[in-house]
Amino acid sequence: MTESHWSLIALLAAAAFAIRLTGLIAGNAIRTSRLAPLLDDLPGLIVVSLVAASLAGQPAVTWLAGAAALGIAWKTNNVVATMLIGVAVFAGLSVTGI
Amino acid sequence: MKQGAIAILPLAFGAAVYGFAFGLLAAQAGFPWWGVAMMSGAVHAGSSQIVAVEQFSGGSALLGAALAGAALNLRYIGIVASLAPVLQSLPLRLRLLAIHVTGDENWALTMAERAKDPAVGASFLFGSGLVMIGVWTMSTALGAVLGASLPDLERFGLGFAFTAAFIAMARGLWRGRANLLPWALSFAVTGILVMEDMPKAYAIVCGTLCGLLLAQLIRLGAGAER
Repeated sequence: MTESHWSLIALLAAAAFAIRLTGLIAGNAIRTSRLAPLLDDLPGLIVVSLVAASLAGQPAVTWLAGAAALGIAWKTNNVVATMLIGVAVFAGLSVTGI
Repeated sequence: MKQGAIAILPLAFGAAVYGFAFGLLAAQAGFPWWGVAMMSGAVHAGSSQIVAVEQFSGGSALLGAALAGAALNLRYIGIVASLAPVLQSLPLRLRLLAIHVTGDENWALTMAERAKDPAVGASFLFGSGLVMIGVWTMSTALGAVLGASLPDLERFGLGFAFTAAFIAMARGLWRGRANLLPWALSFAVTGILVMEDMPKAYAIVCGTLCGLLLAQLIRLGAGAER
């Protein structure tokens, strides 16, 4: 491993931790401020954005399987069941070429 | 802790497959397997590592490669900030460890389970986080050793497994109709920005911020009516 490889690891580790630390400091400041309810909003909004990012630009099969997964999630409120049935629906739709 | 460690296993399996793929990429960029393991353990941010190593092997300047990778992780400001109530009773050294082992999957699972049962907290986050960082570190190192001999699991819908998991976690975080408009806005903004070729990591930050702003405006509006 060259000096550059070592440096990349060190820089990236420092930057990634600095971002997490900023979140910790910001979270503590927000928790004791008038903006505290925003901390309750954050998780749902980030997760919904993660889902949108993985669905955007994908073929109809992915959206259909996503809709099925939403239905299963709504009924079961269970992560593993949603993953298993969601992937089965995705695979089924892909194989049948719908 | 055990509860979190067990609950995260299906997601850890999925992350391991991406870990193998990253290990291969890093090995091609000249990292030995132990260097890959060291990076994964010290950085613990999949998409950042992938982009930084891609830029690095593409000849970008060192600092530029590291910054490009790190910028992809900006959503962690929000992710870690949202953990403030979960971590508030821990001593500082444990809080610092907790934020390092926090990743998308174990954070979202912790928050979704906590929405169902308020007793779920820091211990669940640690259990699930230690499994995730352990699996990530080992799988990336194994990827660097085994390389191209791995099957392409993406063909079997592996990528969709994560999408389905996050859909289920969103369901767990749903708190009623007050969420509808901010969530719809975050979803739409993120989706449109990705379609407009913005890198996903930045689109997620923009979508989240728009949803937050709308949620706050709705709250202010409701307060003014009272």
